[in-house]
Amino acid sequence: MENIQATLHKGPAVEASRPIKMTSRDVIVHYGAKQALNGITLDIPERQVTALIGPSGCGKSTYLRCLNRMNDTIDSAKVRGQILLDGEDVYAPDIDVVELRARVGMVFQKPNPFPKSIYENVSYGPKIHGLAHNKQELDEIVHTSLRKAGLWREVHDRLDEPGTGLSGGQQQRLCIARAIAVSPEVILMDEPCSALDPIATATVEELIDELRENYTIVIVTHSMQQAARVSQLTAMFHLGDLAEVGPTEKIFSNPDDKRTQDYITGRFG
Amino acid sequence: MRSEPLVPRNSFGESAPVSTFTIILIVIAIGLAGAVMAYRRSRALVGKDGVKMHSRPTYHASFVACWGIIPALLTLAVWLIVSPIVISTNVSASFPEGVLADSQLTEGLAYGIVESIGTGLQVLPGDERATITDATPVADVTALLRDRGIPTASAATDWMVPLAIQLNSMQIWSRWAMTLVVFVVAVAGAFWAYRQIAPRLRARNNVERIVNGALIAASSIAIMTTVGIVFSMLFETIDFFSRISPAEFFFGTSWEPRFSNVGSSGNAGSFGFIPLLAGTLYIGAVAMLIAVPIGLFAAIYMAEYADNRTRSIVKPLLEVLAGIPTIVYGFFALITVGPFLRDLSAEISGLATGNYVSFIEAQSVLTAGLVMAIMLIPFVSSLSDDIITSVPTSLRDGSLGLGATRSETIKRVILPAALPGIVSALLLTASRAIGETMIVVLAAGVAANLTLNPFEPMTTITVKIVAQLTGDLEFNTPQTLVAFALGMTLFVITLGLNVYALYIVRKYKEQYE
Repeated sequence: MENIQATLHKGPAVEASRPIKMTSRDVIVHYGAKQALNGITLDIPERQVTALIGPSGCGKSTYLRCLNRMNDTIDSAKVRGQILLDGEDVYAPDIDVVELRARVGMVFQKPNPFPKSIYENVSYGPKIHGLAHNKQELDEIVHTSLRKAGLWREVHDRLDEPGTGLSGGQQQRLCIARAIAVSPEVILMDEPCSALDPIATATVEELIDELRENYTIVIVTHSMQQAARVSQLTAMFHLGDLAEVGPTEKIFSNPDDKRTQDYITGRFG
Repeated sequence: MRSEPLVPRNSFGESAPVSTFTIILIVIAIGLAGAVMAYRRSRALVGKDGVKMHSRPTYHASFVACWGIIPALLTLAVWLIVSPIVISTNVSASFPEGVLADSQLTEGLAYGIVESIGTGLQVLPGDERATITDATPVADVTALLRDRGIPTASAATDWMVPLAIQLNSMQIWSRWAMTLVVFVVAVAGAFWAYRQIAPRLRARNNVERIVNGALIAASSIAIMTTVGIVFSMLFETIDFFSRISPAEFFFGTSWEPRFSNVGSSGNAGSFGFIPLLAGTLYIGAVAMLIAVPIGLFAAIYMAEYADNRTRSIVKPLLEVLAGIPTIVYGFFALITVGPFLRDLSAEISGLATGNYVSFIEAQSVLTAGLVMAIMLIPFVSSLSDDIITSVPTSLRDGSLGLGATRSETIKRVILPAALPGIVSALLLTASRAIGETMIVVLAAGVAANLTLNPFEPMTTITVKIVAQLTGDLEFNTPQTLVAFALGMTLFVITLGLNVYALYIVRKYKEQYE
């Protein structure tokens, strides 16, 4: 508790009255017969970092995967309720999932670079979406994305080497660069630092803080320090319910909900 | 392990020798008895003033059982292998001087007759057996044996009777000696191990070493068998190449091994291997050309698109194809596919030129390739399906999460990642195609043509191996020996393919992970 408080004071201030980027209303998810989410209603502000915290199995990753319909890839998953991106229903029949995922990018728990070169990893998205008309434009996108992901200095002289040869932290930043390269509006991050050492974690956290200027970010994390350091809004999940949502500072200093209080003071989770 | 027939009274024992199977059962019983005693003793030691045992009682029991059973069975195996060799050497050595030179018999043939008389004598009832002595003429013996329905060779002569009696007595003696020695070894082994039992005995580690040894023995049997197969072909191959020059074999374009009469040394015919190699590769290539895309697409569908329900139905159905014996595919080619292609080609040429002539023969490279492809599809799809499924889901998610469609993900991420595995699967499939015989015999015929036209018959190496080895032939001719040269060549080709497949997998594996 002490060090979370300390982190908070250094952390970014809450910016009020941001426009809402994504909205969800009564989102219910079933995996087969098992209900994973019991009606989540949550607003995600634009160009802010929203952290989803909670004990394991509470549904935060499930919720995250609803936002860009990654749950579609799981046969048994059934999603009900409403999720809006800029007021548009993400689950409407006329929505192109492929286009949605280009607008709502994703970074996964375990760094998952493709077994290709660094350059090909980043240029993958722009190529399939036809974002570049020639080699110069593609180079430009790749270089910019790597710069934004803070990886340019480390890899600019070895873009042809396999992405799988990088260290874990570099791989994760490569995956972030890969996500940025398709110019998404929202980036979803599913415990992006859980497989990284503290130094790589710090680098990625700094990166998230910088990315906030241009992108709306939703991050699932198990580390409350991390939520406190990088997020402006925190949502606490518990057993498929949204226990509490509020400005990060308030959640960590003065939570309303008993479950949140117990969780952040380490009584469970 | 043949069980000995009942033998009546003889000079060495009052009862019949113990069968090998009984010996093994008794040895195992000795081992188990030792194990039970060891277990009790070990339990008793634990009870005594809180001694800490290194190993649990079950390990002491296994330790004693192993020492009781394994050395005894090894002795048994060695005895069973060595004693016939010793006996035959002894008996052959006492053949009378010069008798072999007088007759047309070789030493091995003569020994065979002696052995068969010996076996016959063992079957006779005791009173009849007693009438036969070293001096009994062979005609009386054969008459007796014929009454019992036992045939003997006409070449049997008088001097063989005493040798047969000697052979029998040596066999019985060896049998009793073996039984005794094996039991002594079993008891001694178990007793020695039993004496070793002590709190400090590392029975657990010893048992571990025995398990280790057993596993090594199992895998070396597989390897030794391969080596044995290679050697069995190697000597005949060398023999063949001493008669026909390798250059003629490897570069000859005509395959016409004439079957010369036994004993005559006429024209051996030509042994050009090229038409067979061409046929093998051509039919294999046609089969792969059809099987690879279909199998691969089926695999992609099952791994990436089909939901679990569909997959659980389609996959076993596809694998049923793999269980069909290839001779059945051969029937299918012979009575369905071949005639169909022939009639189809007649229709096509009729429509095109007005002249109803079938340009595809019923037995052709195309027929064989087509039917072989059907056989290969389940191999390609099953192997590729496993490989595609083993590509980590995180790569799939990564690509889908960037807004790629499924087919983009498969084309750009999954197939490149699975490529080394798929290539090696295809090479394994190719070596199956090259080794296939029955389909080719029935679908492409046995004519060794050298042609580029897929509508004509051709044949393969394996078909010709069968053709050269079947029938009533003298073994020692190039016509027969060529089969071994062909087999050896085929072995080298498929070995090369498999080694290359392993090399590719190793080379790309690191990149894959």
